[in-house]
Amino acid sequence: MENKIENIRYIPRSDSAYPERLKVHKGMPKGLYVKGRLPDPKRPSVAIVGARRSSSYGNETARLFAKELARAQVQIISGMAWGIDGVAHYGALEAGGDTFAVLGCGADICYPKGHQSLYEKLVKKGGILSEYAPGMTPRPGYFPARNRIISGLSDLVLVVEAKEKSGSLITADLALEQGKDVYAVPGRRSDSLSRGCLNLIRQGAGLADCPEVILEALGVFPQKNKQQNKEQTKILLAKEENIVYSWIRLQPVSLEELIQKTGFPPGTLRSLLVGLELKGCIREIQKNDYIRTD
Amino acid sequence: MFSTIRSAAVIGIEACPVRVEADICDGLPQFNMVGDLAPEVREAADRVRTALRNTQILFPPKKVTVNLAPAHFRKEGTRFDLPVAAALLAALRIIPENFLQEVLMIGELGLDGSVRPVSGALQTVLLAKELGLKTCLVPRENAKEGAVTGGIQVIGIGSLKELMECLLFPDTWERRAESVKTWKGQTVSYPEDFREINGQKGVRRAAEVAAAGMHNFLMVGSPGAGKTMIAKRMPSILPDLTLEESLEVSMVYSACGLMTNKEGLMENRPFRAPHHTISPNGLAGGGRRIRPGEISLATRGILFLDELPEFSRGALEVLRQPLEERRVVISRTSGTCIFPAHFQLIAAMNPCRCGYYPDRERCRCLPGEISQYLHRISRPLLDRIDICAETARIDYKDLTGQKENECSASIRSRVEAARKMQEARYSRPGCRFHFNSQLPSAALGEFCSLGSEEQKIMEAAFETYHLSARAYHRILKVARTIADLEGELKIRTGHLLEAVSYRVLDQKFWGE
Repeated sequence: MENKIENIRYIPRSDSAYPERLKVHKGMPKGLYVKGRLPDPKRPSVAIVGARRSSSYGNETARLFAKELARAQVQIISGMAWGIDGVAHYGALEAGGDTFAVLGCGADICYPKGHQSLYEKLVKKGGILSEYAPGMTPRPGYFPARNRIISGLSDLVLVVEAKEKSGSLITADLALEQGKDVYAVPGRRSDSLSRGCLNLIRQGAGLADCPEVILEALGVFPQKNKQQNKEQTKILLAKEENIVYSWIRLQPVSLEELIQKTGFPPGTLRSLLVGLELKGCIREIQKNDYIRTD
Repeated sequence: MFSTIRSAAVIGIEACPVRVEADICDGLPQFNMVGDLAPEVREAADRVRTALRNTQILFPPKKVTVNLAPAHFRKEGTRFDLPVAAALLAALRIIPENFLQEVLMIGELGLDGSVRPVSGALQTVLLAKELGLKTCLVPRENAKEGAVTGGIQVIGIGSLKELMECLLFPDTWERRAESVKTWKGQTVSYPEDFREINGQKGVRRAAEVAAAGMHNFLMVGSPGAGKTMIAKRMPSILPDLTLEESLEVSMVYSACGLMTNKEGLMENRPFRAPHHTISPNGLAGGGRRIRPGEISLATRGILFLDELPEFSRGALEVLRQPLEERRVVISRTSGTCIFPAHFQLIAAMNPCRCGYYPDRERCRCLPGEISQYLHRISRPLLDRIDICAETARIDYKDLTGQKENECSASIRSRVEAARKMQEARYSRPGCRFHFNSQLPSAALGEFCSLGSEEQKIMEAAFETYHLSARAYHRILKVARTIADLEGELKIRTGHLLEAVSYRVLDQKFWGE
């Protein structure tokens, strides 16, 4: 326990290391407790936030955005909560990028507990930030409050999935007050998890349908070579694999639906699906539910 | 006046010989029973005395001592009423002693002298045969069950009067003996059929593969998607019981007094679905008087565990050893029993507590809650499950549509063919396994060898899915079964890829 606390630095507002991005706004904490590093002030950073009970579509989207942005040297900031937050951190880590979590409890406490491995990775590959002193346990009121730091540290806030009344919308409001750009990922109008995002877009938020939109807004232009890879894999697909692939979307498709749509016998279809997964074209997100990977 | 009668006790599922000795001598009138007896055996004194009186036999006011030898182990059950009565009749010289030593008998008496059925008749008759006896007397209701063994006269006794007639006239034994029912081995019919399942093509195929190689099978799916329906129909696609298998099953059921088939041996494969509140002992067997548990009652059949995560951890851990060894050893202070546990495990579970994940419009579980739910099943148990498949959400169309679904008989014919291939492959001496699921890892190289192209696929799968060594072996075994289903000698890429799709997903996939 002691060791944990020892690794935490306290950076008061007067310190030169205190993020400039926070200094310009009112109501920011007098100091920050940091485990690991602080975000690099010279590099752009984006907050990715969203629902805790996220869908697999939301998870895939958050992962994709985090990965692509991290590849372009953008720092990803989020709240280490279940769902979108956690996936965004994971996505950034997968791409080898830097990612930072702002917690609603002491920086020595991993909340939620199930994110212990993510917490440890973040300490190594980024940082854990908190305005609360070590040892302070999470309280409901702390979480909306930490959202102002998440938006404050970022140049842009991206909301991936949110219900009509969601904590992520608080972050978006705070970001607008702080004069940051807000982007939202659109979803189907029938999904309750898309409501919050669609409302944001109606109110004038940016429409983020692909990571390039965000990169453009940040003024970052990475070199493009991904497109070619994608086309190469397409060529390698056999005819039957292509039929199956064409039925798989970003929304999960079940094995049963695919059997009906393609007409392949279940045994054959299963081997085709695993073949496609081994080629990296699709992913089994849950037993017998498949989605396309971009 | 002394006499002795042969009888047998059942310990676990084995019968062991017991001699019932009776002595009637002058002295104060009393009836003593000795020989480490449970209360119900001691009560035989009252039943026998009353039954004799109601059969119009005058019981003299003398000192009666009955001993059940050997006296060093506990005798339980009501099966000793009949031999005690016979021993008294012989001691009273009402029946001659000449032929008594060629007879072994069991049965419970009613006060009116009628004979009631008992459990464990099958093993008792087998023991009598082993001892080289000529005749075995069992209650009438148990006669058919005993007669199946053959090679010994089994006579059904309906009352004390009949017992006396039988023992007085040994020349009638042949006429009285139950006719031996030969094992037909014909196709038995099950009340449930796969024809009744609409849709669910993916799971049907998985069930077929599981049945063909006797692989343990886990179904994941929302409530009401038909997991239980499919599990219930598993016995109907398994090959019929052979005589040896049926004997094994019948031994357990007879010892528990659960013989459903009044005509002889058990013909249907057992299907046991214990409730998730079951105790470890209820599952494995045990108790003061050691009884087989659910896993032994499911031997040569299906053990279906619905709502797998709801079972207590202790109960699930108990499954591990029997799943490996195909038998269960129960040790208590009263002794050690070995029961068969040659069952196929079929388990079903919801993807999360509420059951609707990944449908986020309905599922309100946090990712942490979902992974907590899944973590309730221990890794070692999951490691013993070869095939995992999800039941699909059902559409209205599937519910109502009258479609021509494949029936169990036609699936069974494919399963039987695949089983034949395994039999041929593993029949040579030195192979101590019969099904692909039992292949030890040392034998995988010989029976599941891969070509270079197939090896490349497995290498890719190993990397992509971060497979463990165990998971890798399981995939090979399932691929072997799929190849057998197609009648192929070599495992091909398609078989391997399909086998990979049945792997039990890592918990990290579910919890994310």
